[in-house]
Amino acid sequence: MITVSDLSYAFKIGKKEKENIVPVLHHVDLHVAEGEIVAIVGRSGSGKSTLLNLISGFIKSQTGEIIIDGKQVSGFSESKWAEFRLEHLGFIFQSFQLIPSMTAYENVELPLVLKGVSEKERKEQTIKMLKRVGLEQYQSHYPGELSGGQQQRVSIARALILNPPLILADEPTGSLDSENEKELLNFIKELNEKDGITFLIITHDHEVASIAHRKVEIRDGYLREGSKLHEVQR
Amino acid sequence: MKFKDKHRFVRSNMKRNKTRVWMTILASTMGCAFLIMLASVGFAIHKTAVDDVMSYRLMNEIEIQSENGPLIEEDVKKLQVIKNVKAVSRKKYVPANELSLGEYTVYADVSSANMPSERKAGLQLEKGRMPKSKNEVIIGHHFAQELRKEMPENFTEGMSEEEAQKKLKKLAYDGDLLNKTLTYHMKVDNPDIKTETQIKTVKVKVVGIKKKPNKEWIIDSSVMITDDLHGEVMPLLSEIDPELKNSDDSYSAVKVYTSSAEDVKAVSEEIKDKGYLTYSVVSELKELNIYFTLFKAGLIFIGGIAVLIASIGIFNTMTMAVTERSQDIGIMKAIGATPRTIKRIFLLESGYIGLWGVGLGTILAYLISYGVNFALPIIVEQFLNEKPPEDFILSYIPWSLTIIAVTICMSVTLLSGWRPAAKATTVDVLKALRRDV
Repeated sequence: MITVSDLSYAFKIGKKEKENIVPVLHHVDLHVAEGEIVAIVGRSGSGKSTLLNLISGFIKSQTGEIIIDGKQVSGFSESKWAEFRLEHLGFIFQSFQLIPSMTAYENVELPLVLKGVSEKERKEQTIKMLKRVGLEQYQSHYPGELSGGQQQRVSIARALILNPPLILADEPTGSLDSENEKELLNFIKELNEKDGITFLIITHDHEVASIAHRKVEIRDGYLREGSKLHEVQR
Repeated sequence: MKFKDKHRFVRSNMKRNKTRVWMTILASTMGCAFLIMLASVGFAIHKTAVDDVMSYRLMNEIEIQSENGPLIEEDVKKLQVIKNVKAVSRKKYVPANELSLGEYTVYADVSSANMPSERKAGLQLEKGRMPKSKNEVIIGHHFAQELRKEMPENFTEGMSEEEAQKKLKKLAYDGDLLNKTLTYHMKVDNPDIKTETQIKTVKVKVVGIKKKPNKEWIIDSSVMITDDLHGEVMPLLSEIDPELKNSDDSYSAVKVYTSSAEDVKAVSEEIKDKGYLTYSVVSELKELNIYFTLFKAGLIFIGGIAVLIASIGIFNTMTMAVTERSQDIGIMKAIGATPRTIKRIFLLESGYIGLWGVGLGTILAYLISYGVNFALPIIVEQFLNEKPPEDFILSYIPWSLTIIAVTICMSVTLLSGWRPAAKATTVDVLKALRRDV
């Protein structure tokens, strides 16, 4: 599903004349198979979020190669990345990233709107997805009126609405209490097992990493392959 | 993303900042209304000037003169063969000019005309028909009111103009002159000839009365006699005054009428090539139009400054909207909105603000225009004690002005929204997600 080869990245800090180059990733190679849950763990500032942002296209890669779902994405333009994200990727963020002025329904519906799906079809799919995450009765609530766990479920519903083959999650349980965390991890496992969705999860939480089939550690920008935790169900 | 969804998206965003959006719309409305109103003054003056020129001349009429003296029949024949010439109207001056009906007398402008050509040229009668025989004539619309009983000496002395007019009206003939027979007195204003030998008379019958002139102040008391009658009158006059012997074959006025106003230019050129001098309302309007087009362009330019000032408001509103919604833009970009989609949403928003402003501004301008045109004559009469000229308008908004104003306002609006919309596409996703923008 994901193949990262020889990926390096350095941040440029300061003004042009006094520019400092801070290397973050060094020659990273990573392969995530279809249907796999991979957890990338590491300390703060180790480069794990940078790796996820490169795979998401939020920052442009400088060297190396990224292939997602058979597509060479490292040279994509901003527009191409946007189209690719809409079709192939789902996102779960630590701080949910819901649009506050939109209701739960509208937030979940947004990817369908961007894709140009008809209103009737949108309604059908959105209601179905809200039912699946158990928020049907909260559809007209704004994010500010929902609990953290409910917001994260809206965020997951939005990530799943276009049936992406890959979901990228950045500290998905970071803002949740233990009960909601447990619920979310069970849901991720269910999605992986039932729908065969591939997950790449950035976390520093061992509990989260424990649901992964494979754990990969990043330390000072270098990637170390960890142990295989579970057999991948194909 | 479908247009309908963009529209829904924009509407909900606009609702969030109602006051700010409406203030911006108000600024656009005022800018647009000011532009239209200012230019409408230029359009009104232009219209008044054109109407004035057109009211006493026809668009397809070309006056012809020659540097070599009066035109003769040979010249008329040359003019008649020119392509797209519908008719050549020619008139001969008749020096005798007194007509009477019983005790009523009038000194009228008498000329002979080629009646078939006059008919072709578009001469319109209010009553009656065109002359068919030699002694039949057509009279002007005001002929009857000028046909009066002899005025006693110092008849109007000490009277105001209004009173004098009333008195004169009482002396005027108030019956219908159609089919009445007038006595045509041929007089010659030559002091060398004795008065008794000057007068010869001919009976003429009124068979047609011309239509009222378009302008109120034009008094048409003319008489048109036939060429045949002219042929009979001139030898009689020549007997009285031998100097008139050689003037019976030249025309005092020759006018060419083209098939349509569009042909005037080409026909004028051809007539000029034949060595004649031409004058047409088209050539007068051409100069008038150049002058007024520049004048109107100047007014539109000044009005455009108001629109530009209003556009600063739109720029400001849109820039604030982009800044406020940076997080939303970042989230949308993260889940798959292309820069093009983001740009279109913001352009649509500034477009809506502009559209509302233009729509309301245009309606406001029309209302002010009607109000001004309605109230101005009343104000002038009340406070200046003067009556403004008839048909005078201070503001005129033709469709062309509305289209020009809408185009300018919408272009300026879209241009002012362009930069904020472009800025929205450059929102950094990561910064937006970190609430860092």
